[in-house]
Amino acid sequence: MVQSKKQKYLFLAFCLVPTFIMFSIFTLYPLFSGLYYSFFEMSGASQAKEFVGFDNYKQLFNDEIVPATIWHDYFLVITKVIGIMIMAMFIAVALTQLKIKEAPFYRIIFFFPNIMSVVVIGILWAFIYNPDLGLVNSALEFLGLENWTRAWLGNENWALTSLVLPSIWAGIGLFMLLLMGGIANISKSYYEAARIDGANEWQQFWKVTLPLVWPQIKISILYIVITTLNGSFIIVQVMTGGGPNNATHVMGSYLYQQAFQQYNFGYGATIGVMILVFSLITVLFLQLLLRRDKVEY
Amino acid sequence: MKRSVGQMISRFGIRIPLILWSIAVLYPIIWMFIGSFKSNAEIYANPWGFPETWNFQNFITAWSEYNIDTSVFNSLIVTVVGAALTLVLAIPTSYALERMRFKGSNFLFTLYVSAMMIPMVLGWIPLFFLLGQFNLLDNIFGLAIVYAISQLPFSIFVLTSFISTIPKSLEESAAMDGMSPYGVLWKIITPLSMSGIITVTIMNAIQFWNEYFMALIFLQSEENYTLALAIDFISSEAQYTNAWGTLFASLVFAIVPVIILYSIFQQRIAKGMTEGAIKG
Repeated sequence: MVQSKKQKYLFLAFCLVPTFIMFSIFTLYPLFSGLYYSFFEMSGASQAKEFVGFDNYKQLFNDEIVPATIWHDYFLVITKVIGIMIMAMFIAVALTQLKIKEAPFYRIIFFFPNIMSVVVIGILWAFIYNPDLGLVNSALEFLGLENWTRAWLGNENWALTSLVLPSIWAGIGLFMLLLMGGIANISKSYYEAARIDGANEWQQFWKVTLPLVWPQIKISILYIVITTLNGSFIIVQVMTGGGPNNATHVMGSYLYQQAFQQYNFGYGATIGVMILVFSLITVLFLQLLLRRDKVEY
Repeated sequence: MKRSVGQMISRFGIRIPLILWSIAVLYPIIWMFIGSFKSNAEIYANPWGFPETWNFQNFITAWSEYNIDTSVFNSLIVTVVGAALTLVLAIPTSYALERMRFKGSNFLFTLYVSAMMIPMVLGWIPLFFLLGQFNLLDNIFGLAIVYAISQLPFSIFVLTSFISTIPKSLEESAAMDGMSPYGVLWKIITPLSMSGIITVTIMNAIQFWNEYFMALIFLQSEENYTLALAIDFISSEAQYTNAWGTLFASLVFAIVPVIILYSIFQQRIAKGMTEGAIKG
């Protein structure tokens, strides 16, 4: 009646082994050999490896572009966290707390950019920023602000800031949903009690809503930070390719340029290790910073 | 009475930013659709208005001259093969991790799930050489495999939580009746977690259809381009050829299938996305 141990192990192996092998080959092995590659000089298509010890890391520390790429990544992280969280929180509160009949319509519309490809979003926004044909400059001219028009993505001072807007535009929907879920779970009795105590809607937001959706806020911030550090290079690559004059290069786009455009694979891997280190440190730091005792009433 | 008037005003005040944001979200997308029906001359003369005549020339040009037909086909293969492979690998693993206790099961689950937080860009350099060795570089099936594995952590994460909601008694009684564990997995677990499987598959399919960067690295020749790469190519050409209408038409090709999926599975997609987001 009871299955034999051997059969059980066979089934377990059937379930786990193929997946684990594929995962090892296509995720674990590349990750660890990425670390390994960072100690080698690998240039050109020849794939000849030469052990160079910490030379790539020395180069990394002396590379003038590297600090700029780190700063650009964190600029995107900070502006995205602030922009997305404020907008998503406002929309989530408006759609859940106030009885707006067309709320489902807004919910569907606002989520829509989240299912669009980054390429489509990037190209669409590159056209919006187009100096001759784009919406931004046309709108400024229409408002009589001709002096403010510029080649947004071609301007060293404005290119990075111009990348933030599409990133926020594309990101809000998901976090709006996440926060709406959190707010929906708050028991109505807390609001009633607050109202009896004479709290106005603004005070209710600060004293009830905000502390009780703290777990969702924390997850959202962590998620924005991780996805930005791990993937900001995609929008950069589509919209500016890191230019003009490296003004928008982030760590990932610099890795792409070094490894896949200039074929410095060893140095590219070293930049990859740097991205890994910064991601892990940032996530640990954030988890300490955002730790907050659960509010219980 | 006074209060309700005040509330009405504040309700209206709240609507203004919501309406403005709706316009900010919808206007560029609608405008892209309109642009795809405009001739080049019209785009230059009146970039933000309606076309005088709605013509399909841009779609025809994109489809045949810019090889969008080939890229749509490639994207379709990558999406279908990738999504299927993810399921084949993720369902048995999710079942074993959720239902069978064994040494290291927690470790394995943590390993898969923490892979969602790690920047994979470091791994893409060795993967580039590895695919070369397997003769899978510049090969859409190679890309499909890479895609499938990249979505394994997310898929395992969501599927285990779906499988955990299935009552254990069903499997136990099936086992009593002499059903093999393979039978339980295939005839009981898979059908009962179908809702989760569909959610995960739609999410993965949208991901694969939209993906750009890995395709950029792992594909090289134009006949293997996925839609994302083809669009990127047309976009960089448009700087010189000014074929903006053709570019918008190809963006429409990329976005319409996703819009259709989204309108059918709107609630599932939203739910799946937020469940995936919890991974942080």
